[in-house]
Amino acid sequence: MFAHIYSYRLKCLLRDRELVFWTLLFPLLMATFFYFTFGHLTSEQEKFEPVPAAVIDNRAYRENPHLQQVLAVLSTAGEGRMIELAVAEEAGAEKLLEEGAVSGIITAGEPVGLTVKQAGLKQSILKAILDEYAYTSRTVSSIISKNPPAARLLVKELERRPTYTEAVSFSGVPPDTMLAYFYALIAMACLYGSFWGLRNTIDLQADLSARGARRSTAPTHKLQVVLSDTLAALTISFIEVLVLLVYLAAVLKVSFGNQVFYILLTCLAGCLAGVSFGNLIGTVIRGSEGVKIGILIGGNMTLCYLAGLMWVDMKYIIATRVPLLSYINPAALIADAFYSLYLFDGHHRFFLSIGLLCLLSALMSLISIFRLRRERYGSI
Amino acid sequence: MLINVHNLVKRYGNLLALNHFHLRVEKGEIVGLLGPNGSGKTTAINCILALLKYDKGEIKLFGKTMTPQAYDIKQKIGLVMQNVAVFDELRVEENIDYFCGLYIRDKALRRRLVQEAIVFVGLEKFRKFYPMKLSGGLLRRLNIACGIAHQPELLIFDEPTVGVDPQSRNSILEGIRELNRRGATVIYTSHYMEEVEQLCSRIVIMDQGKTLATGTTEELKALINQGETISVEIYMLEPEHLARIRQLPHVTRAHYASDRLSVHYDGGEHNLLDLLDYLKSQDISFSRVFSEQPTLNDVFLEITGRQLRD
Repeated sequence: MFAHIYSYRLKCLLRDRELVFWTLLFPLLMATFFYFTFGHLTSEQEKFEPVPAAVIDNRAYRENPHLQQVLAVLSTAGEGRMIELAVAEEAGAEKLLEEGAVSGIITAGEPVGLTVKQAGLKQSILKAILDEYAYTSRTVSSIISKNPPAARLLVKELERRPTYTEAVSFSGVPPDTMLAYFYALIAMACLYGSFWGLRNTIDLQADLSARGARRSTAPTHKLQVVLSDTLAALTISFIEVLVLLVYLAAVLKVSFGNQVFYILLTCLAGCLAGVSFGNLIGTVIRGSEGVKIGILIGGNMTLCYLAGLMWVDMKYIIATRVPLLSYINPAALIADAFYSLYLFDGHHRFFLSIGLLCLLSALMSLISIFRLRRERYGSI
Repeated sequence: MLINVHNLVKRYGNLLALNHFHLRVEKGEIVGLLGPNGSGKTTAINCILALLKYDKGEIKLFGKTMTPQAYDIKQKIGLVMQNVAVFDELRVEENIDYFCGLYIRDKALRRRLVQEAIVFVGLEKFRKFYPMKLSGGLLRRLNIACGIAHQPELLIFDEPTVGVDPQSRNSILEGIRELNRRGATVIYTSHYMEEVEQLCSRIVIMDQGKTLATGTTEELKALINQGETISVEIYMLEPEHLARIRQLPHVTRAHYASDRLSVHYDGGEHNLLDLLDYLKSQDISFSRVFSEQPTLNDVFLEITGRQLRD
């Protein structure tokens, strides 16, 4: 009997074209949209252009091999290129600055001078470079004058140029701000399982549909029907999210790390939360099917907004100002589970998110079953 | 007794939908539940099926109290609802199989029953059709097939012919008769008099949630103070003759309009002969003569009143 109800429920739901569009195709379209708009903008913003600068070719410059070497390294073509350097006479350099061809003029001397026409990011970069040069020069001179034997060690250390901070994830994949959007999108796709849950509850209740009435008169235990229908909805919702994941990973080349099992577990828990949310709205909210659908769409959008789907900073605002909301928002919990998989090596935070998701799902399901188990209605 | 509904009371807020309603149905009967819109027919059916809560009364089916958990009773019931209750996403055959499968676990038996139901309602050519592609009549037939496929002992039809063309309606009624011949007991609710008169072995007339009258068509006709009506085409009838006709035995009313004399009787055995004798004796020439017995519609209107309903 369970298999009979389950298999026919799968057929019914899969052939509901409107729901398949919203729960499968819509997230795919959104993913593509995100990729081609936000993804493009982010990569453009993050691209660094070398700062054009001129250095005056005077005696002081020619007699300062250290400065020449530093500027030569910084202007060498490659990934680390920071300056696009022009060596010119004073008049020529001033002309370049006047025409806007360079952002600043470096004048060798003690101290090294920087002439700029206006304040800005590029000028600040030049200033930071020269400040660093001046500071390092002074340090080296001071060490050599006070402790000459340390000179060799110092040179070695300077050659090594160690970096003490680096933005990396603990799970060994490069950090990517775009992921925040994709995680929220997957959370939305999981929550769209709620549409399947709502459809189930409408087909189950005699006061909402003729089909519900006919099914209620059959000699089948209500709980059996509820569980079969819910499992069918969960199956479809999970497969749809898997399709989205494959699309993101294989077509849009979004990296999710390498913890496949945990990623699937997150999707499953997310879909369960989504279907349970739909069940809850379908059973608790009084009103017609249209009213329930309206409330469900509004609810889903609100939860996704608070999880950072439309504006990624919102997730952090909620997490810092109303942390409780983060713990009861299924969309935020799904996105958070993905984050913790991506950013942390340990699974403590991941399991906290998954545990809370399961707890929420259990709570919503219990309320729904309690409402659905009533088998006589006040009016039909 | 298959159904025994005793003293059933159901309120919707201040509205009394069922007012101490009674219904008894014996095995093998086709009982028509007849009433105007809002009289409580569907409410009564929903209470009998344990879909609706009720305030007072007792419902026994197959000798047992009906409850939502009475799966043994539900197993023996088939329901054909007023609204078509099928899945738009399932084909004709799948819909029937799905609903039949809620009652029949044995796959081989179910397959046979589904095929029988398809043949019974004449949907052989439409097995693979989706409900959206069916006409109104075919959709009603699918609705019926979904309710009867498991061959229940008790069949409840709640206005199954609403919005159906005469051919489909005739087919549906003939099908119900056939199901009854095969042993099913039938409850049939409708406000189409001719359907009920044609189909049902016993009729229950209800209004405002109450049982007003019950009996066979003949028994119900006998309840009302109305006998036959005789109409005669006469080209010229003087008022004094009309007055004398009104004095004839058993005449309750007589009127003459548009070359037609209509005389209503409250009984009597030789009314037609008496009237024709009078007309001949007075040399009143006439052409065609009609005699009409009271219909169920007359009974219904007499019992439930002639005022318009909401």
